[in-house]
Amino acid sequence: MSEARIQRVLLVLLLIVCTVWLVVPFGMAILWSLVDPSVPWTADHVLPPALSFYRWIDMWQFSSLQRALVTSYALAPLAAITSLLLAIPTAYALGRIDFPGRELAKLACLLPLVVPAFVTAIFFTALLFQLGVHMYRFPAILFAHAVLALPYSIRIMTVSFEQVRQDHIDAARDLGASSWARFRVAYLPALRPGIFASLLIVFIQSIEEFAVAFIVGSPDIVTIPTLLFSALGQDYVRPNAAVLSLILVVPNVMLMLVLERLLRSANPTLASGKVM
Amino acid sequence: MTRRRWFVVPLLLAPGLGLILALVGSVVVIAIGQSFGLFSIFGGGAFSLEPWSETLDRRVYWRSVRYSLQVGVVSAFASVALAYPLALWLRKPFQGAAFIGAVLKAPLLVHGLVAAFLYVNVISYHGIFNQFMQAIGVWDGPRRLQNDPGAVGVYILQTWKNMPFALLLLTGAVRSISDDVLDAARDLGAGTWARFRRIVLPLTTSVMQAALVIIYIGALADFSFQVIAGPINRMSLSQLMVFFKDRGDWHAAAVVGVTLMVLALAGAAVLTLFIQLIGRGWPRR
Repeated sequence: MSEARIQRVLLVLLLIVCTVWLVVPFGMAILWSLVDPSVPWTADHVLPPALSFYRWIDMWQFSSLQRALVTSYALAPLAAITSLLLAIPTAYALGRIDFPGRELAKLACLLPLVVPAFVTAIFFTALLFQLGVHMYRFPAILFAHAVLALPYSIRIMTVSFEQVRQDHIDAARDLGASSWARFRVAYLPALRPGIFASLLIVFIQSIEEFAVAFIVGSPDIVTIPTLLFSALGQDYVRPNAAVLSLILVVPNVMLMLVLERLLRSANPTLASGKVM
Repeated sequence: MTRRRWFVVPLLLAPGLGLILALVGSVVVIAIGQSFGLFSIFGGGAFSLEPWSETLDRRVYWRSVRYSLQVGVVSAFASVALAYPLALWLRKPFQGAAFIGAVLKAPLLVHGLVAAFLYVNVISYHGIFNQFMQAIGVWDGPRRLQNDPGAVGVYILQTWKNMPFALLLLTGAVRSISDDVLDAARDLGAGTWARFRRIVLPLTTSVMQAALVIIYIGALADFSFQVIAGPINRMSLSQLMVFFKDRGDWHAAAVVGVTLMVLALAGAAVLTLFIQLIGRGWPRR
């Protein structure tokens, strides 16, 4: 067989795999979210006999979905801003000051990624009990989301600070610029993409975070992932779970695509370290 | 470094690195402390080895340890083994390579819980997979596949979610191998397998090792896949930890938590050692 032919066979094979890999799972989820309850989708039908947005409307009106959306989309931007503000001083030190132990400090910033999420979540709860502040669930989750995302924001901002050019700063200073003006003309242009990327990554991380929101927040605080988890467990209703899955996955995929553009690299997932 | 810097640097590091160390440090200290009877939630507590001896006596604990280790190791190796050939195939750009790469990496963007739902939906009793198997005549009737006792569902989900991550890392590593080296080997008569074993593998060892360790730690500590799609007759370590905690048995939960951390570190070390031994010993045979 010629090489071109092998390549073509491989491609067809792969298209089949892709269908099994993505099209079937997501197609089934979309169909199930659109099943109209008036006619059940039984095994003898290849496609649902009646389609409607009934489940979407029903979930919107009668479940904790609205509350979960408000909580998740309030937590995420707050966590993103908090994490960025906390990261900036450290990133400045790591990116622009040469001090002994700098490499070690960079490595230590990755610590939250090494400890399993549920270990952090459970013993963070224990810490809240020790401090007697376990009733402040929302601020506690916000704090945890901001700090646990610091490895990403610090890393991105460190790289941004490294890219600020010393000759720009010096030139601004020579021309008599005040410290604010120096920041605006020399620092800000180099930092801007990093700031957006950091905000976006922490936003996505916070929307998707499950362990802390589940352990610290339950039962009062519901986020989209914790709502989906309960929809998959004790209250398993397949169409509802399908609706929730799509609500969780679609906006985040779009945000990741924005992020990819922002970082101008093909690997947003690598930069964000999104594994789970 | 000037004296001013000695003062400024710690001040700058405090809100970022400082908070990280404070949070992770206190989490680890509390976990270890509680596993020895300290930091009781209800106040007080005294040092004792009882939580360890009691938990280590439980059969469910050892079953979880074995099961989680197995999920961690199998998922890591399966993901990397699947990713290697794909990375090599996508090394040279051809028409459609970028699209295929994007499709293969798409699961990275999908939340773990969503992945679990997608899987459970596809394999459900009257789901599309069961229908398909009956349609082609392999099975006579539908089979119950969710929460299968062999944990096949967990392995499939772990691999679906982690193979793209390994592929992402390996594609970069494989692309950085220059054609000259591979052509030279080919000229010297090295076949496909020999080229892989003697050139590709040694040059990508460090990346493969990173992928293995990261996937291993994630799969070892898995909670969601196990709870939703895993077998009912055993628990993963994370699940066991949450189970103990929900019963109010914080000290037993702490024992499991410390076990998880130790197994994560020890497993990472063993995997690293293993890969380095292979990397060193394999070319000469």
